[in-house]
Amino acid sequence: MKKQLGFYVDAKRCIGCFTCAMACKNQYQQEPGVIWRQVYPLKEEIYPHHERAFYSLACNHCEHPACLEVCPVDAYSKRPQDGIVVHHQEQCIGCGNCIRSCPYGAPRFNPVQKRAEKCSLCWQRLDAGLDPACVASCPTNALTLIDLATFADPGAVQFPPGFPKMGRLNPSTRFRQAELPKIIKREDVS
Amino acid sequence: MSPMTKQAMERILENSVSRRSFLSRLLATGALAGLPCGLLRPGTAEAGQVWEGGYQTFRNACPRNCYDTCSIISYVKDGVVKFVEGAPESSFTRGGLCVKGNSYVRRVYSPDRIKYPMEQQGRGSGNWKRLSWDQAMDKIARKILDIKERDGSLLGLALTKYSGNFGITNYGVEGMMSSLGYTTRMVGTPCWPAGIDAQNFDMGSMWCNDPEDLPQARYVIVWGANPAWCSVHSMKFLYAAQEAGAKMVVVDPVFTQTAAKADEYVEIRAGEDCALALGLCRHILDRGLYDREWVTAHSVGFDDFAAYLRDNVTVEWAAGKSGVPIAQIKALAEEFAQARPATIWIGYGMQRHVNGGAAVRVLDALVAMTGNVGKPGGGARYGHLQTWGFNYHAMLQKPPEGSKGWLGASGPKGEFDVSGGAGNAKYADRALNINKTAQEILDAKDPPIRMLWVACKNVLSQDFDRPKMLKAFDKLEMVVAVDQFFNQTVEQADIVLPVTTLFEDWTVNASYWHYWLSLNEQAIKPLHEAKSDIQIAAALSRRMNELAPGSCTFATEIDSKDWMAREFNKDIYDLFGLSSWEDLRKGPAKAKLASSASWADGKFATPSKKYEFRSDLCAKNGHDALPMYKEGRAPYDKLRLLTPHHKFAIHSQFQNLDWMADFNPAPFVYIHPRAAAQRGIADGDMVRVFNKVGEVRLAARLTSDVPPDTLLMYETWYKGLAFNCQNLVDDTSADMGAYKTGAPGVAIHDQFADVARA
Amino acid sequence: MTPSFELPLVIFTILSQQAIGLTLLYALRTAGRSARPEPSARIQWLASAGILALGLVVSLTHLGHPEGAPRAVIHLSTAWLSREALLFGLLVALMAVTGFLGAVRALVIAAAAAGLVALFVQGMVYAPPSFPAVNNALPFAFFLVTAIILGAGTASWFAPQDRQPFLRRILVGALVAGLLLFLISPCIWLSGGAIMRLTAVAYFASTLYWAHIGVGLILPLLVVLAVRRIPVWLPVLLLAGALCGRLVFYVDTVHSAVNLGGVY
Repeated sequence: MKKQLGFYVDAKRCIGCFTCAMACKNQYQQEPGVIWRQVYPLKEEIYPHHERAFYSLACNHCEHPACLEVCPVDAYSKRPQDGIVVHHQEQCIGCGNCIRSCPYGAPRFNPVQKRAEKCSLCWQRLDAGLDPACVASCPTNALTLIDLATFADPGAVQFPPGFPKMGRLNPSTRFRQAELPKIIKREDVS
Repeated sequence: MSPMTKQAMERILENSVSRRSFLSRLLATGALAGLPCGLLRPGTAEAGQVWEGGYQTFRNACPRNCYDTCSIISYVKDGVVKFVEGAPESSFTRGGLCVKGNSYVRRVYSPDRIKYPMEQQGRGSGNWKRLSWDQAMDKIARKILDIKERDGSLLGLALTKYSGNFGITNYGVEGMMSSLGYTTRMVGTPCWPAGIDAQNFDMGSMWCNDPEDLPQARYVIVWGANPAWCSVHSMKFLYAAQEAGAKMVVVDPVFTQTAAKADEYVEIRAGEDCALALGLCRHILDRGLYDREWVTAHSVGFDDFAAYLRDNVTVEWAAGKSGVPIAQIKALAEEFAQARPATIWIGYGMQRHVNGGAAVRVLDALVAMTGNVGKPGGGARYGHLQTWGFNYHAMLQKPPEGSKGWLGASGPKGEFDVSGGAGNAKYADRALNINKTAQEILDAKDPPIRMLWVACKNVLSQDFDRPKMLKAFDKLEMVVAVDQFFNQTVEQADIVLPVTTLFEDWTVNASYWHYWLSLNEQAIKPLHEAKSDIQIAAALSRRMNELAPGSCTFATEIDSKDWMAREFNKDIYDLFGLSSWEDLRKGPAKAKLASSASWADGKFATPSKKYEFRSDLCAKNGHDALPMYKEGRAPYDKLRLLTPHHKFAIHSQFQNLDWMADFNPAPFVYIHPRAAAQRGIADGDMVRVFNKVGEVRLAARLTSDVPPDTLLMYETWYKGLAFNCQNLVDDTSADMGAYKTGAPGVAIHDQFADVARA
Repeated sequence: MTPSFELPLVIFTILSQQAIGLTLLYALRTAGRSARPEPSARIQWLASAGILALGLVVSLTHLGHPEGAPRAVIHLSTAWLSREALLFGLLVALMAVTGFLGAVRALVIAAAAAGLVALFVQGMVYAPPSFPAVNNALPFAFFLVTAIILGAGTASWFAPQDRQPFLRRILVGALVAGLLLFLISPCIWLSGGAIMRLTAVAYFASTLYWAHIGVGLILPLLVVLAVRRIPVWLPVLLLAGALCGRLVFYVDTVHSAVNLGGVY
């Protein structure tokens, strides 16, 4: 298999601290309102406690990216060397079609530039030998960079509950699911 | 489309109920960021950059008085901080920051920053007028001289300062006060004083193990702390312990994020930590699982404690008090006592009760009787001041000749007071309880408090009983606030002075949890007209001496870097293995510890030099000599109200930034579904939370993360929102704190309230 | 479609469908007849071209960078939007030429065929996987029905008297078909996945949805059945109703990213 970089989201370790999401803003100094990486709490149907388990998500750098497919000005490309889906913002005309079409909500509209933008997987940092800003910032090592060509964790899943199953796009993100502690509730009020 | 069209459309669409609910759902998921309503937001500064290399780097340190006190590297180009990262040299933070630390660049360049000195025509009016620094210093200096003339002393000038900006040179604010004469000081700490006193009584000092030795623990109880939010860099050490086979148990009244990551979560009735801990001790005693050898060799008073347990404590009683089932108390006790080493992380939240100090003493006793004090991977971990032995050059200033002050006893002015009180001087500062600031201002006489200087603190967000504080402010003739944003205290100030961020001046920072020391270099020139606290002091001193030569002893010209360097001494250099402070430019340094464990040599700093289960010093300070049960506060309303820290803020800082609002736009009160159902409250409803102190209006979130008898809201300041939880928190004292910090703590979590649909 | 609520696109799709509808209806009602064009053929076709051109101009205003619009045709290999841009550009030219040449039969058939293809392509632009409720042939069906309703209604302004009953029958049929389509589709979504269900609930709870059903479909149907002709004001009502319906399509069709972390 060809090299394909992706994020490994370890929901068992993730504490939903939003450090990764803010580290992204810190690196790219995004306009207020522009979010490349978001930390999504799992709804109680999936994890039975309010805002206690999370998926940190950005672009999934899909094998068959919807954004790339639908862009009328061909402003997206997939790097042959590592599979990163790159948005060439200078070519973007701000039609919003990628924003509409990505099922994971990765591309966002920059209201000042009036163009779309999304997670670049920090390819400039990667090319300089650095980790992506979000990965480097994670205090619990819950967000890591993987190469699907060599990644072989049998416990990892591609489409856990809470993440839309889009097989044709084949997103490159992999997950480990959150766990629950043994819970001892108070007797006097239960 | 134009905003007008968009607004018109929105109005049409507002007819649809689902539209609103979907929008709120969108807001919750952040998906709205892609909506064209983004066009309505103001555009700001220079945004949109990529990593390009070739940066100049500087060493900085987060000065927010947090467990982690992260060492920062700032990346600068063309005199602008482009981004920040954690320093990889620290094995505690391992190159990481937190969500707040990663927002620092936005904080520096925020369009909301206070840019120059300003004067408000009418407090709360928002009618601000720009002043030059000369004008501002002139107004302030004349007021100070006016007070001195009227009262014959400066006791009418009060300082309230805490740890919002916590560099060592920020103690120059206290220095500035001392250099003016004897003043009134709000002393003590709202944070952790009850526990400090407790650990001092038990062991002679507050001194925790190196948190980096947590992976050696075989059993960890995190008791009333939430490191997943308040010490994110400690989590990896807790995980490492778990991965090495240790069990992690979280004891907390709330199902916190840390609880979700534990092996076991024990929900406890808030304020009954004492009872549960005593129940554990009793069961360990009954099973003979305590460390007889250690107790005999290293402690005094254990037999008295054992007798107290046998006579007064049963597991059944503990279960009744705490709500924790008997079987679980027994299991927890047996597991904890049989694991070696076992440790307890004692949180600050659990001592913010009227019996908080007593509870910490029992937890200390639990760790000690199982022989876990002094062991790597063990310990009763609360905090430490081992790495704080600076010169406090900026703080220790002499009053002008002939100054008059307070006649009478004077104790410590806080946990970091190294001056040793007033000593033999004839006069002292007037010490008032920082945790009752409002009442103290209202009560102060001869002279009354005429002027309040607020620095490194947000009085109207953080101090207790806000309605009373507003009344107290009415008594003040002048309020000067030194800050970076127009927060709720600045709203009630007469003059505001813009202060620098960490990137704009020199200082040095230590932690009360880990053992790293960080230099804070000046990375950029101060923005706008901001000055650091010591530069403000120098500017005030210049004007004071122009108007009345000799009226202020503070230096009139200061080289901040030189003043930072003057804080170092040989002991600090030896402790950290430094030849000069310049070594810290290569990265933070860690203290050379003989052992990762505190008290590893078994020599305690108590009068008996042993661990004191029975502390006569404690008795002398008005408490029980033994770690004993102390009743909690009687409820004064239907539900308990907890107001702990949020992950997006440290107290009133950071949440106000627009970047933070992108992730957390508004506050909620968290209510158990059963309590909500009884009141007809649905998820998302606007509600009124009210008690004898005041009232807060906000939206409700229904969750079983909180027990049915508890309401929870996070204390923080949202820009543009009136939300303020101190409208519901009174200023009732905790049991301990006066001994080491000058004033008792405050029972923040012994509050009660009710809730109804708004 | 929530993350990109764009009024210009609402207007563009409606106007382009009105223009294509006119074309289709002209081709239909003149099919099999003598090759003679209708007297008002020229003005009709130029009106179609004008409406479509207006729609295209309006569509430019939704772009962050309208000056880059010509480049929108460069990604024909995979982007339906590129195909749509190219096809609608050609269609405007074809309609104009047909008008100038007096509705030559071959051109009429070519334009109608191109119009149908254009509707299909437009339908595909709005059928991405991110909107499970319409990640299918529904957008094409919605657009086709709208085109025929608007086309039949508007054509009544131009068609000779003897062809009005034909237009009336087509309009009645299209309104009935539209009613069924727009009422049944959300019902089907209710039995789909979470996002489809959310979409259905959003449609049913939307005032605009019911305005479309009532003002854009039921009321015109009753009027036409009652007066047995297409009143001259009816196309305006049809247009208003269609705009309501299209707003619902853009605003209340739920994007899958809305529920990240939730059940799908």
